[in-house]
Amino acid sequence: MLDRLLIIVASRWFRLVLVVLFVLSLQTTLFSEVRPWGYSIQLMAIFVSVAGAVHDVRTAAIVGLVTGLMYDAVLATPLGVSGLVLGAVGAATALALQPLRDPTWWLRILVISVAAALSEFLLPFTTALIGLGGWLEVRVLAAMAVTFAGALILAAPLIPITRWTLREKVLLDR
Amino acid sequence: MAQNKTNLTRAVIVLALASVFFITLDVSDSSTTSRVRQVFDTIFYPVENVSRVITRPVSSAWKSFRNYDDVVAENDRLKEQIALQEGAAVAAAASVRLSQELLALNGLPTLAGINSVTAQVIGETPTNFSQTIEINQGSDSGIKVGMPVLNAAGLIGKVTEVFNNRALVMLISDPDYALSVKVVTKSNRTPVTLPPLITEDAPTVDTVLDTTDTSTTSSTSTTTTTILGFTPSATTVPADVVASAGSNITIPLLSQLAVRETGILEGRGPGTRPIVRFLDATTRAGAIEVGAPIVSAGGSRSLAPPDVVIGVVSRVVERLGTAGPLLEIELVADLSNLSFLRVLLYQPITESGR
Repeated sequence: MLDRLLIIVASRWFRLVLVVLFVLSLQTTLFSEVRPWGYSIQLMAIFVSVAGAVHDVRTAAIVGLVTGLMYDAVLATPLGVSGLVLGAVGAATALALQPLRDPTWWLRILVISVAAALSEFLLPFTTALIGLGGWLEVRVLAAMAVTFAGALILAAPLIPITRWTLREKVLLDR
Repeated sequence: MAQNKTNLTRAVIVLALASVFFITLDVSDSSTTSRVRQVFDTIFYPVENVSRVITRPVSSAWKSFRNYDDVVAENDRLKEQIALQEGAAVAAAASVRLSQELLALNGLPTLAGINSVTAQVIGETPTNFSQTIEINQGSDSGIKVGMPVLNAAGLIGKVTEVFNNRALVMLISDPDYALSVKVVTKSNRTPVTLPPLITEDAPTVDTVLDTTDTSTTSSTSTTTTTILGFTPSATTVPADVVASAGSNITIPLLSQLAVRETGILEGRGPGTRPIVRFLDATTRAGAIEVGAPIVSAGGSRSLAPPDVVIGVVSRVVERLGTAGPLLEIELVADLSNLSFLRVLLYQPITESGR
């Protein structure tokens, strides 16, 4: 029983939940108050995009779905909407970089930024699809631009954090 | 490796289906999602508090860098405004007092009879696609979903999620917010002016407030009432409200009182003024002027009690056909600068049980 518990605690998915809790707390405190031109930088979307840039499609999709579900739990939007959106964003980032064998650092950051900005369009779009419209307006472009600029700055420090979070344990003694 | 990929694919499918399932539950107002949120909040709240303490210097530095000039300019403007309003506030307070006394004497509900809880804003929405704020009072203080929230100026929104010691408030500018309101318009007809009163004693406020619940012994006697929580007292009324003996008395007839048009107020997102659509297409748009006050309509199914101040008409948009006019509203509350709020402990029937 204890062994099983230790395996779960040591797994990368448990580590992911803890790290996302920390990232989410930054999103709801610092990044909800620091608003360039009145728009909030979406750190959660940037984190998911970074996961897509450094891991495969499936892992990135799981990171996006888990992160989005946790984000929805503190938002007033329907539970699950951000999960689907961020899951798609994570998978899209991984897919965009998949054809490239060894992308340069700046190309990686550019793709992360574009994908994170895309989430700012997908969220109101998905919300409108389920019948809760009102947000799909021109201001979405400004929100996308702010998140794009934020991702250009924040992606680089997030890459090592995401790598560490999703690192699989290598059992050399077996 | 192949087994690992299969497991990951399964996990993706399960999580995606779970998301769709939760959306379905949430859109149909299931209580399950509220419970999920409450459980998550119990775990997340301490983490968020620690982050708030750690990041406060950074956010304070950002605010001081960004807002310093605005704050100085606003401070100067407010000082000037306070000086202008000091005189008007005395007369307004007397009018409000008189209005509350009249409502109480007639057994009509007033805001003064509704208990409230004072709360402080502790967080803004972390997303660009909802207009919510977080306050530091929750179900422990008696707050429930649906309760109206006000600041010193007027209505700012309603409670949408409640936790033990905090709550989320949807602002009036959110596109999901809708409230029945009434527009108080001026009457075009002139009031009737009566000749001077021929009497020994001038009428007092107490005689003006005379109702079946009161017992008046003479035109200048004291008044007693049986209404709970209401103590009649001497009231200072502006000179033009009660005419003194020997002067003309202006009495507005019932048909000449302010016209009240009822409609639905809808939020349209940040930076865009809310609008009022009329239920009645035959509304007299011509009678509605820019600057007309907008207050909550009240009623058994309304989200707020009657006569809560919301804003003033900033533009009247005429529409063709039977669509009726559209009003743009300038809110009296500044939603970008909220600090201390008042939650009215009034839960609408439509939100009861949540």
